[in-house]
Amino acid sequence: MDIVKIPENDFYKFVDKKIAEKSSRIISVVRKGTKFVFDELDSASRMCLDYDVTILPPKKYFQPQKETLLRFVPKQADSYEAVNEFEPITLIGVHYYDLAAIYLMDRAFSEGKKDENYLKKRNNALLIGLYPTHFFKYRFSSSVIKGEQPYKVADLMLIHMDDGHFALEIVTEKGRAYIEGAGCKKSDYTLKEIEDAKNRIKDDQRLPIPVELTPDYLMKNHDHPVWEVFGEKCYSCGSCVFVCPTCYCFDMKDEIDLTLKSGERTRNWDGCMLENFAVCAGGHNFRGKRAARFRHRIFRKGVNLPLKYHYWGCVGCGRCADACTSSIAGPVKVFKYIEENK
Amino acid sequence: MIQTANSTKHDNESIYLPEVATLIRKEPMTDLDMYFEFEMKNKPLGHLYGQFVELSIPGIGEVAISISSPPGKGKSFEMVIRKVGQVTSVIHQLNPGDSVGIRGPFGTHFPMEDLKGKSLLFVTGGQGLVPARSAILHALKNRGDYKDITILFGCRDPGQRLFTSELKEWKSRDDIVFLETVDKCEPGEWDGHVGVITTLFPQLKDIDPLETHAIVVGPPVMYKFVIMSLYDMEFSDKHIIVSLERHMKCGVGKCGHCQINNLYVCQDGPVFVYDTIKHLKEAI
Repeated sequence: MDIVKIPENDFYKFVDKKIAEKSSRIISVVRKGTKFVFDELDSASRMCLDYDVTILPPKKYFQPQKETLLRFVPKQADSYEAVNEFEPITLIGVHYYDLAAIYLMDRAFSEGKKDENYLKKRNNALLIGLYPTHFFKYRFSSSVIKGEQPYKVADLMLIHMDDGHFALEIVTEKGRAYIEGAGCKKSDYTLKEIEDAKNRIKDDQRLPIPVELTPDYLMKNHDHPVWEVFGEKCYSCGSCVFVCPTCYCFDMKDEIDLTLKSGERTRNWDGCMLENFAVCAGGHNFRGKRAARFRHRIFRKGVNLPLKYHYWGCVGCGRCADACTSSIAGPVKVFKYIEENK
Repeated sequence: MIQTANSTKHDNESIYLPEVATLIRKEPMTDLDMYFEFEMKNKPLGHLYGQFVELSIPGIGEVAISISSPPGKGKSFEMVIRKVGQVTSVIHQLNPGDSVGIRGPFGTHFPMEDLKGKSLLFVTGGQGLVPARSAILHALKNRGDYKDITILFGCRDPGQRLFTSELKEWKSRDDIVFLETVDKCEPGEWDGHVGVITTLFPQLKDIDPLETHAIVVGPPVMYKFVIMSLYDMEFSDKHIIVSLERHMKCGVGKCGHCQINNLYVCQDGPVFVYDTIKHLKEAI
């Protein structure tokens, strides 16, 4: 993989140039109060690449909170029209764990029946990754992500160096073409300097057991008291799943406009932690208990997705732990409780 | 805003775009259940036994419904739809000639080809008869392909019986065994067996568990008790085929509603050999 370098100021100027070109929407991290969010840039000066974590992961650009799947005339089935809205976007400064999550999302939406509403958005995106420069107290990504995982989706990777430069790893040809004209120079950093810069921020937390052992470990602890103990404190608010970069469950709803002449079928974020998620026609709730829902979420990350994709289903971003009102959602805490109460 | 947005209409790549079907006839079956026959506008549905579709009315919504007829009726297919919510209430109000959206068929099916030469034991409860009927009608039509056929049907009360003329015909046939029960009834309302479906099992004679495959479809509460009774008869897990009910919202293995552990019931099921799911604690 080629590595180049660019002074930070020049990179910001390059981003301004890309904004002016208007060939794609430029999305990056900006401040929102004391926190950070992904948002569209009108100027590179708003861009903040020195952040701890964003409130929502970048999945909102590929699976929006709400998107239109179909348009129709109410009650006329021959009027259904598929809708697929997408446009070229460039995401700048996506932390490596969020890239790992996008890889899992890509698998979910492309394997089996292909979901073009997701894939068209995804295939029209250029991803510029970033290694974190800021500590986040709930993050434990380094104990759950395999090194190659972010590189399966990134086009370029930014690494903050100590000398006012970014080192830029060129991952794809699409990425190489994108930075042509940015004024990058050949990198003269040693591999050790690059690795040290990538690993500058150490996670405070880590999963207490090796990640590859979790499927068996959780299966053996299917009936452990942890699910009841933690479930009892759960408000079923769904915050943990809505901020999760690897949760993609959704609901579909029909909406009719005020004229009653047209309507849309929309896809909306939904979550397995919400009380009525598994209710069937007739009212039977297959996961009516909070403990069962809590277990399902952790099993999805630690058993189901790993068995299917051979990568852990959680990327250790720590957003769920941060968002949870009851301080129960973080996987590390769950595993620690099981370890301490064998 | 950058003006580069693309919007593709008539995007046939969409897995959410329904085909069109027209209602041909409907008949009430119980106070809540209505029989429907639909005809696909373009090509036959191409379904197999026990599969389901996502049926929709634009502006009202989409619901997963089992197909009740076996393949082979050209573009037409049958369903029995229970009025339980907003979408099914509107479906009940449809008139012949009205159109609906259909996505699918989805899911796994009863392996009627693989079961040729075997004996069949259908254990159906309530609406479970609806998907099972596609397999039952196939087996009865091709009676010579199967050895002994036994059908059990149970429902809450006599008013909940489905396909009553077919039940009558099955009862009169001497080449199959058909046993029926109701959970409860008013005095004088019913002269048949009363009790939950497992109370029919003592009447089953000469069922060879090595030669017979049980097809079990019913309400969630039924499975454990029926499977225990089948174990008493020395059925192996590989000879028990179940069809599981879940909230199948998208039908394409994405939305997560129907998930049991690593399985999406809409894609990996709804028909499972019990052997493959018995380790999943939330399955039944």
